[in-house]
Amino acid sequence: MTRAGSGSLPRYILQRILLVIPMIWVILTLVFFVLRVAPGDPVSAALGGKLNQQALDQRREALGFNRPLLAQYWDYLSSVAHLDFGTTFSDNQPVLHVIRDNGGATLTLTVAAFAIALLVGIPLGLLAGRYRDSASDAGIRLFGILSYAAPVFFVGFLMQYYLAEPLGLPTSGDASPITVFEVPTKTHILLIDAFLSGNGEAIQDVLKHLVLPSVCLGLVICGVFIRLVRVNLLQTMQTDYVEAAEARGLKRGSVTWRHVFRNALVPVVTVIGLQFALLLSGAILTEQTFNWPGIGQKLVQYINNRDYGAVQGIITFFALAVVLISLLVDIVNALIDPRVRY
Amino acid sequence: MDRPWDSGYGLVTDLSGSPERHAFRRRQVDRSKQFGALIGAGALAAALAACGGSDSSGASPQSGGGTGDPWILGTTDTVTALDPAGSYDLGSSTLEYNLYQTLVTVPPNSTKIVGDAAKSCTYDNPTTLTCTLNPDEKFSNGDPLTSSDVKYSFERAIKIQDANGAAIYLLGSITDTAKDGTVTLNKGAIETPDDQTVVFHLDHPDTTFQYVLTYPGAAAIVDEDAFPADKKLADDQVIGSGPYKLSQYKAGEQAVLELNSNYTGPDPGKTPQVFVKYYSEPSALKLAAQNGEVDVAWRSLSPTDISALKSDSNVTVATGKGSEIRYWVWKVDGPVGKQLAIRQAAAQLIDREAIAKDAYDGTVDPLYSIVPPGYGGASQAFKTAYGTPDVAKAKQILKDAGISTPVDLTVGWTPTHYGPSTEDEANELQRQLESSGLFKVTLKSTEWEQYQTIYKQGAYDLFILGWFPDYPDGDDYLSPFLVDGGFFQNGYKNPQANKLVAKEQGTDDQAKRQQVFGQLQDIAAKDVPFIPSWVGQNTAVYGKGMSGVESTLDPSFIFRFWLVTKNG
Repeated sequence: MTRAGSGSLPRYILQRILLVIPMIWVILTLVFFVLRVAPGDPVSAALGGKLNQQALDQRREALGFNRPLLAQYWDYLSSVAHLDFGTTFSDNQPVLHVIRDNGGATLTLTVAAFAIALLVGIPLGLLAGRYRDSASDAGIRLFGILSYAAPVFFVGFLMQYYLAEPLGLPTSGDASPITVFEVPTKTHILLIDAFLSGNGEAIQDVLKHLVLPSVCLGLVICGVFIRLVRVNLLQTMQTDYVEAAEARGLKRGSVTWRHVFRNALVPVVTVIGLQFALLLSGAILTEQTFNWPGIGQKLVQYINNRDYGAVQGIITFFALAVVLISLLVDIVNALIDPRVRY
Repeated sequence: MDRPWDSGYGLVTDLSGSPERHAFRRRQVDRSKQFGALIGAGALAAALAACGGSDSSGASPQSGGGTGDPWILGTTDTVTALDPAGSYDLGSSTLEYNLYQTLVTVPPNSTKIVGDAAKSCTYDNPTTLTCTLNPDEKFSNGDPLTSSDVKYSFERAIKIQDANGAAIYLLGSITDTAKDGTVTLNKGAIETPDDQTVVFHLDHPDTTFQYVLTYPGAAAIVDEDAFPADKKLADDQVIGSGPYKLSQYKAGEQAVLELNSNYTGPDPGKTPQVFVKYYSEPSALKLAAQNGEVDVAWRSLSPTDISALKSDSNVTVATGKGSEIRYWVWKVDGPVGKQLAIRQAAAQLIDREAIAKDAYDGTVDPLYSIVPPGYGGASQAFKTAYGTPDVAKAKQILKDAGISTPVDLTVGWTPTHYGPSTEDEANELQRQLESSGLFKVTLKSTEWEQYQTIYKQGAYDLFILGWFPDYPDGDDYLSPFLVDGGFFQNGYKNPQANKLVAKEQGTDDQAKRQQVFGQLQDIAAKDVPFIPSWVGQNTAVYGKGMSGVESTLDPSFIFRFWLVTKNG
């Protein structure tokens, strides 16, 4: 027997949402203290090579970096509670504007990469499982391992050096400068803005720039899907209902296409949520490699500048994104499979 | 800071009818032919777009006056702020030199300052500098530029006292700093007797002040009707009176500059539009230059990349004199560095030619004094004092001082601030010192943030640092290094050096100043509080059709957009 209502969907969703709050608090606290335990601060990062210690100390004092850590922590939590992430120290931008201006590029990259991963990974995984232990299975498995294991920046460099010129593809950025200049900013997602502008050359230019980075990032996730789908397919093919279907005279190919494939793909939904975090961390490296003006590239820049406010804001944004996607996946899972609610 | 959500990039210009645009676009389309077959999605998108009607991207006309094609500068520099009150870095000043005027400026390949917004700036005496503005100066928005704007620019920069701004650090002659770090403008420090005249009253004799006035981070003139008095203006809204005006700015991504039709100065631009594209990695910039995605790549390509690009027939590598230096600092109050003979012996051994050739592929020049060649009064003091590397002489120096060998030496360097070749330089220095048999070197490295803290605490006997000048005068290479242990606080103190610095700062007589510069460099070579290593070159890589790039590559590191054009 279960307690009354313990299996209801609204209650399950509420529980998951309430869990998000302590999760975010832990992340905020970790980021806050880790940044301050690390050597350096925004003042020394910007001016350490120019000023003597006294001048540096005066600037720290004036900016409040010498205040007690707990006082700074309290101020920070209070600001975040009011959705005020402050202004970056190193380039004078409101943190929310940084997220708004650069989040669109990261979203474009991750969505495109995810689409490529699904489009390549699932068919290849199904193919490998269907023709188990064949040459194509071995080849696809090898491809899956390599694409998952190869560092994103390494694959990116190979693509830039060996594919960009023969294919006439750009090596950096999300569009040519003139396209960025021409396309009016409406949604802060350049691809959508280009469509909204109706400028065909701009759309083509944006798509061209998207090819190499999204393929590079997509390959990483693609390897995960290949292995997952293949294993699920093999397990499903060994289930009783497949045996029963074949015993009733249904052809192997028909059983595979009509029943096995569909069921083998169900666990992929669960994995999508987990892969999102991997996708975001991969996006940081991909953005660095391809000079993609996304939020990951900004994060690296702000970490180098010890820009506390900016790093805290961006990591909080990343954390929220991962938590929300996980929440969404949990809800979808609960809808698909009521057993997870109990 | 207060950038509205929708108007931030509103200054979109439709150039679809201009020949420059067609030439620019043609290049993109040529490349896209190969791509066209690659993804059907692109073609589909283009078809959809074609159905969508004409370009709706604004309709403001192109600025007139330019004759060349638009061109793209790629750089790895970052921009801190485009409001001069908040910047003290090369990335910001590169745009500021083109967007704003200062009272005086530096012509290409010269350290002699000339008028910019001012006809002239002259010292009435060592504490009074009077500047007379050019008549009819205007900002790009049409507002007149008067002495009131000049005074306001200094007042607000000091009032805002942004930690990233240069004003509070470089305008010490007209400001006072309290113990809590608050900087205030001295009472009566700036007078404006009429619309055309600005008088600076300095609190001590300081003839370097006129050089500080060339640096936009400290002295750019802003419109008092456009810039708030107590906070920075948003980057994409800045207005200046320079040859170009800002049409678009996306932090970390790109800036677009267009000709300022109200500019009446001596340096009108030739190109209607200049795009500046920012790169986070030098390797990405190098690829972009090779792939024709940028027309000029400037700062900070690695020596390996520059060497590779020299053999690429599609691009030209241009170099000019540089002013960025590297030097090795002794911890003079440390157990090893306090012994003059050890410092001198190391100075006797160092082979700068080998460092430049082997660690930097010849992309830097050996530096024999802390003041690089090209600056008035620069000497080769270390070469004069020590000649060529000589083990026997070094051995004798140590023997005369009764120091037993090999001397244990801890040498520090950082891999995260001065580029990947720093490791090669450190290794080369170790090889040179140890091959003499007089030193046993332990190399230690750490990340920049940690490095700059622990070198002051004595973690290393000898450590590497770099310097980039704030203003084009030899003083900027001497006073920060020799007075009271320098900004790096290495414990070196020499009352004679302090007096000489005060002397050169107190006179406007350039011959006398340069004589004092020579004396200071001789003192540095004799006392060896540091060992100069190399001076960088100002290097740019440009593609076909570009001209004028070489003319702006000089030690000032001002990239003068008005000198560069693109045709074809």
